[in-house]
Amino acid sequence: MGQDGFMAFKRSGAGGGALPTTNRLSGGRPPSGIPRGRQIQKTFNNLKITVLCGLVTILVLRGTIGVGNLGGSDAEAENQNLIEETNRILAEIRSDGDPSDPDDPAETEINPNITYTLGPKISNWNEERKAWLNNNPEFPNYISGKARILLVTGSPPNPCDNPIGDHYLLKAIKNKIDYCRIHGIEIVYNLAHLDKELAGYWAKLPLIRRLMLSHPEVEWIWWMDSDALFTDMVFEIPLSKYNGYNLVIHGYPDLLFEQKSWIALNTGSFLFRNCQWSLDLLDAWAPMGPKGPIRDEAGKILTANLKGRPAFEADDQSALIYLLMSKKEEWMNKVFIENSYYLHGYWAGLVDRYEEMIEKYHPGLGDERWPFVTHFVGCKPCGSYGDYPVERCLKSMERAFNFADNQVLKLYGFRHRGLLSPKIKRIRNETATPLEFVDQFDIRRPVRGGTDSKSHIMPHW
Amino acid sequence: MLERCLEARPVRQIHRALRHGKVALLCLFVTIIVLRSTIGAEKSGTPEQDFDEIRDHLHFRRRAEPRRVLEEAQTTDATNINNYNTFDPSKLMVDEEEDEKPDPNKPYSLGPKISGWDEQRANWLEKNPDFPNFIGPNKPRVLLVTGSSPKPCENPVGDHYLVKSIKNKIDYCRLHGIEIFYNMALLDAEMAGFWAKLPLIRKLLLSHPEVEFLWWMDSDAMFTDMAFEVPWQRYKDHNFVMHGWNEMVYDQKNWIGLNTGSFLLRNCQWSLDILDAWAPMGPKGKIRTEAGKILTRELKDRPVFEADDQSAMVYLLVTQRDKWGDKVYLESAYYLHGYWGILVDRYEEMIENYHPGLGDHRWPLVTHFVGCKPCGKFGDYPVERCLKQMDRAFNFGDNQILQIYGFTHKSLASRRVKRTRNETDNPLEVKDELGLLHPAFKAVKVSSS
Repeated sequence: MGQDGFMAFKRSGAGGGALPTTNRLSGGRPPSGIPRGRQIQKTFNNLKITVLCGLVTILVLRGTIGVGNLGGSDAEAENQNLIEETNRILAEIRSDGDPSDPDDPAETEINPNITYTLGPKISNWNEERKAWLNNNPEFPNYISGKARILLVTGSPPNPCDNPIGDHYLLKAIKNKIDYCRIHGIEIVYNLAHLDKELAGYWAKLPLIRRLMLSHPEVEWIWWMDSDALFTDMVFEIPLSKYNGYNLVIHGYPDLLFEQKSWIALNTGSFLFRNCQWSLDLLDAWAPMGPKGPIRDEAGKILTANLKGRPAFEADDQSALIYLLMSKKEEWMNKVFIENSYYLHGYWAGLVDRYEEMIEKYHPGLGDERWPFVTHFVGCKPCGSYGDYPVERCLKSMERAFNFADNQVLKLYGFRHRGLLSPKIKRIRNETATPLEFVDQFDIRRPVRGGTDSKSHIMPHW
Repeated sequence: MLERCLEARPVRQIHRALRHGKVALLCLFVTIIVLRSTIGAEKSGTPEQDFDEIRDHLHFRRRAEPRRVLEEAQTTDATNINNYNTFDPSKLMVDEEEDEKPDPNKPYSLGPKISGWDEQRANWLEKNPDFPNFIGPNKPRVLLVTGSSPKPCENPVGDHYLVKSIKNKIDYCRLHGIEIFYNMALLDAEMAGFWAKLPLIRKLLLSHPEVEFLWWMDSDAMFTDMAFEVPWQRYKDHNFVMHGWNEMVYDQKNWIGLNTGSFLLRNCQWSLDILDAWAPMGPKGKIRTEAGKILTRELKDRPVFEADDQSAMVYLLVTQRDKWGDKVYLESAYYLHGYWGILVDRYEEMIENYHPGLGDHRWPLVTHFVGCKPCGKFGDYPVERCLKQMDRAFNFGDNQILQIYGFTHKSLASRRVKRTRNETDNPLEVKDELGLLHPAFKAVKVSSS
């Protein structure tokens, strides 16, 4: 701005500026000098603009970097870094890639001409086992009149496709730990693929065989899927009912023999006696399992022969149904198809009725009034997609978990606030004589101990 | 002068207008910025979002790639209700009812004072011979207690590591005849966080008189020696066993002189009393914060934060040694708790030089990942180191289980397993190296019937 403008600026500031000044009245001064009034005005104006600019700057900085100090900005950046780091590692962990893989020799091709076997043929397992039990009395197959059961379950070794899947795996194993602690059952949780060829749902076959052969002291091996939850903590399997049988599985005989339905039986929860017959059945069951062309071809056969089966590779359940159906005379006399209680209970028909059950019935029944096991078939929470809406599945699993957990917490005087609530509330006040409640509420006491009159007979197989 | 004024006026007006304009513009700018950052413009974006966008555009940061990739993958199936990746877990759980408000005038207590617990328990055990407190000649009945939150972990892989951790504990406990209680319930809202174990332990002791020892173990601790059996006889005159050093606790008053991540507590009156003495620093809020200050002041090297159960125990023992000290055993001969930082890099060396069953620095019983916090968002250590080392520790322990069945992990970092022994047609002749298949500590008392 020239001298003129400068003068004009001052004057206009004096004339019509935002801040009234009295400098105008301070009288005339020689134009060459700068009147003090004008000077003050000028300063004022500059100050106004400076302040406004400063305010703008501060606001912009606040919005981006954070309130006041630099510490805030560090936390933000660190947060960001950590999230990214975690996600990178997460992606690495979830990938199937293994650091050692490149060093391994190329995997041998599965030769479809050689029949797959689970292991060398064993023909005298009953005798071997009997001899071992005689020689090892400190590892009996019956404890206090009850047969020794080993519950076997598992999940894939890598994290689920999404975190909620792992969370429900955790809840499911806690649920099983609770039931098994109350009923004196041991658990094996498998996280390893023992046999590359029999991966996925077939992985239970080599695992069951391996455990049977390593643990002759175990009388029954109980396979249970990771998506099956105990919902009756009091009910105990009536093993004496199965003295003449070696496989106990939930299903419906008419669906199996008449309708040839692919869901006639459920292999999500079943019991195998530790004996030669079971080893033979496993050997007969396995051939449809090896992944690749064998499993695919087998899938086609199964879809063709079983009612309602969609087209996909052979699964263990369809294969077992097909086996028992087609070789009925060979196997069925030792198979007990159980449906008087829910050794496997399909979840969809059960989960909405929990409140009704709580109102009308009580634990210990195991059937449709109070299901022993609620099995979330089709939900597949560890994968990316299920066969049902996710919200329905997860809410139902949460309800089933809490329904069961209430039965465990009863001993301690608590229950969940609601079937969807993770929080608990007291149902009994603390007392100075807690043992009276232990006598009343501990599930184990009336079931186990002393009064059992089962004899220590080795069942005939 | 009048002429000059007349001449100058338009110029003056222009300049005035200019100045007004400047001021007006600045004011407008200020207003917009304030509005954006306060009202939160999700559509038009906040300055922070602008900043992020500019940053992202200017610097191509490869590290941001995985997140963007994951996010992109997730948004493509937004409409599919069967898709787990688009599900929001916060919709899942319903918090019904209000929390009980504690009476501010009443001092906190874990429960009504119980005296004569030893007699009560002894009577019960006599009346219930089928639930003995000793399951073998020198083997007490032990209940291992651990737990985690009933809500999904904040860290996406946190739950996966909790699953691995509980599997690890299931394996050890199956081998050693120990029962497990996995807690997912907060029994007392006032004692949340690391203090939650106190009301839980008390409740379990009183509800399970048949249990002789309660073994608390953090969820971030793993068994790495499957063959080591705790020397129960050593503790026959003690009621509380923790890993630690007498000098560090009583002489140095060091806040990490002992560790409450893995300890044994006998089921008796003394234990109920020490729980009552331990609890007062726990109730959340003012009490815990103030107590934290006392602990930081009194204990060596303790950082400033609210009172935690471990520091409180150190303080309790230091100040009331005469009352409690004689029944507390600070064990340092084996790693009842083993700080992971000094152990995890040596696993290969251990495999080469030693064998399971030692439980000490040569082959630690427990590797405890203090500070890693895999379930939370932030730990005290880099995420990668923590998670990778947890994998290694898990595999190190798992190898000892797998070898029973003739398998082993391909490497300590690998999830995959390989055979170490071919299948045979004579499985009962096979003896596993460590003798864990039918170990002596699992043998059932042979009854005379």
